[in-house]
Amino acid sequence: MTSGTAYTADLKEALTGDRATRLVWLCNFEVENQWARDYPGLPAARVSTTAATVQRMEELGALLAEPADYLLLDRPLDEGYRRYVERLGLGVPTELVTRAPAGAGGTSQAVLDSPELLDRLRQLALDGARLMPMGNSLLEQRICELTGLPAAVPQPAVYERVNSKIYSRRLAAELGLREVPGFCCTTVAELRGAVGQGLADGGPLIVKDAYGVSGKGLLVLDSAAKGERLLRMVDRRAQKNGDDAIHVVVERFLPKRFDLNYQFTIDRDGKTRLDFVKEAITAGGVHLGHVMPPDLSPAHLDELARAVDLLGARLHQDGFFGVVGVDALLGADDLLYPVLEINARLNMSSYQGRVTERFLRPGGTALAKHYPLRLTEPLPFERIADALGDLAREPAEGTGLVVTCFGTVNAQSGAGGPFEGRLYTVLFAGDREQLGVLDDRVARSLDRLNTPERTP
Amino acid sequence: MERASVLSAIEQALTEVLERPVTGLTDDIRLFEDLHLDSTSILELLMALEDAVGISVDPEDLDMEDFRSVGSLTGYVLSQQATSEV
Repeated sequence: MTSGTAYTADLKEALTGDRATRLVWLCNFEVENQWARDYPGLPAARVSTTAATVQRMEELGALLAEPADYLLLDRPLDEGYRRYVERLGLGVPTELVTRAPAGAGGTSQAVLDSPELLDRLRQLALDGARLMPMGNSLLEQRICELTGLPAAVPQPAVYERVNSKIYSRRLAAELGLREVPGFCCTTVAELRGAVGQGLADGGPLIVKDAYGVSGKGLLVLDSAAKGERLLRMVDRRAQKNGDDAIHVVVERFLPKRFDLNYQFTIDRDGKTRLDFVKEAITAGGVHLGHVMPPDLSPAHLDELARAVDLLGARLHQDGFFGVVGVDALLGADDLLYPVLEINARLNMSSYQGRVTERFLRPGGTALAKHYPLRLTEPLPFERIADALGDLAREPAEGTGLVVTCFGTVNAQSGAGGPFEGRLYTVLFAGDREQLGVLDDRVARSLDRLNTPERTP
Repeated sequence: MERASVLSAIEQALTEVLERPVTGLTDDIRLFEDLHLDSTSILELLMALEDAVGISVDPEDLDMEDFRSVGSLTGYVLSQQATSEV
C-alpha cells in the first residue's frame, strides 16, 4: 500500500537529486558522543540512565523510511507493532538486523560486527542504495568504506564542525541573529571567567557541553557556591590530566513564553526550505511535548524564515546539506531568539514528518509526546493496543493517535524490578482544546498498565 | 563518618538536588529507577556530597555499579573517606 506522502521523497531529492533513491536508514541517536570524543565537556560519570531507551529509538525510522527502503536495527521490530504500522497505510521498510544486539558502539558498531549484514549491504550498494544515517561519524563512514554504500549525507568532519554549540553561538553572532547572553569556553580559565561574569550579571546560568544531547551534559548554576563546586572539580581534572580543555557554552536563563523547534532542509545546491515550526508545551516546568502549529505571530514567523535563509546559506558554505533542526526561544518580552542550538542532523521531529503529513488536516493541530509507563514486565504491542482501545486505530478525520515508537516501552526491562517505559506518540485533533481532551484520554487509557510507585 | 551519617548526608544532598524532601532511604532503593536521577542530577549530587562529606570525587572514575542503589553509593562514599584519611 502506498502512503501518498511526499515528505521522505522530498528529502531524498534534496540529498541525492532523485526522489526514488533507496535508502538504508541508520537511526544512530546520540551520534554526538562520537563527535564529542576530542572535546571534553563537564565531568561525567560513566553512567547512562537512558542508553537502552535511546538505542530502541532507532525504531522511529520505521515511520520515516518508505516501503522500498531498508532499516538497520539491532533487533527486529515487535511483530504486533509492525502490523500496526502496516495498518496505518504508510508501508514498512525491510528490516536489516545485526547479528547481535548493540553494545556501547550502538547499531553502527553492531553492523560492523555482522559479516553477513555487510555482505547484504554490499549487494544493496551494487543496486544503487545509499546509507542514510541520522548523523555521520567515523563509524558510519567505516560502514560505507566496507560496503561501497555511498552516504546520502555530508562527511563526518562537516557534521562535527557544525554541530558544536560553540559553532551555533558563533554563527548566530556572525549572522546578526539575536543571541541568548552567554559565553563560549574552550579552557578552564575561560569557564572560570564566564561563570564569574555570568553570575555577576545575574543568574541563573546553564552550562552545556558543546556536544551534549537529550538533556545530558548540562548543569544549572544558581549560586556562587555551585559555581565554585564545579570549578573545583574541573580544576582537579585539568591538573590530573595535564590538560585544561573544556568545551562548553555558558548561557543565561531567559524568562520565556515558550521554547521552539524548527526544521529546514538544505539541498546539495544550497537551496533551503523551511519544513516546520513546533512549540514546546510545558506544565510547571515539565516538558510535555511539541505542538504544531505554534502560537507565533506573522512577524515572528517572518523573522524565523529570515533566520532559516541566513543559516542555510552559511551552513552550505561550510559544506553541509541535509536536515537541520534548530532550538529557539520566544522570550517573555515577546522577543524571538532564533538560535539556541543548531542540530544539523535528523531530529526527533524529523521522524514524525511523514506521519504528520499523512494525518494532520489543514487547520488542525498535532502534539508529539511520550507517555511514561511504570511496568513490572515487558509488554507485547497488543497489550498497549488493548489499553488504547479504539485509539489504537489510525486517526480519522484529523483526530486520533499514532504510536511512533514502541520498542522504548520495554527498553529498561532488564533493571531488575519495576522500570519506566516510554510510549512515543503523535496526537492529532481539530484544535488545542480537543488535543488536551485527547491527551487526557490517552493518559487515562494507558494508566491501567501502570504499577504503583514507591517514592522515598 | 559512620554509615548512618553518610546515609543522612546522601538524603540531604538528594533533597537539594531533587528540590523535594527525601527521607527514609534504605540501601535497596535504586537511584535511577526509583529516585529518577539522571546524568545531570548525578553530577549535582556528587558536587553536593563533596561539600557535605568532605571527600574529593572524580566523576569519571565512577561507573554504573556505584550508582546502582543507595547502598552502593553509600559504600562508595565510605571507601572514598577511607582513601582520603590514609
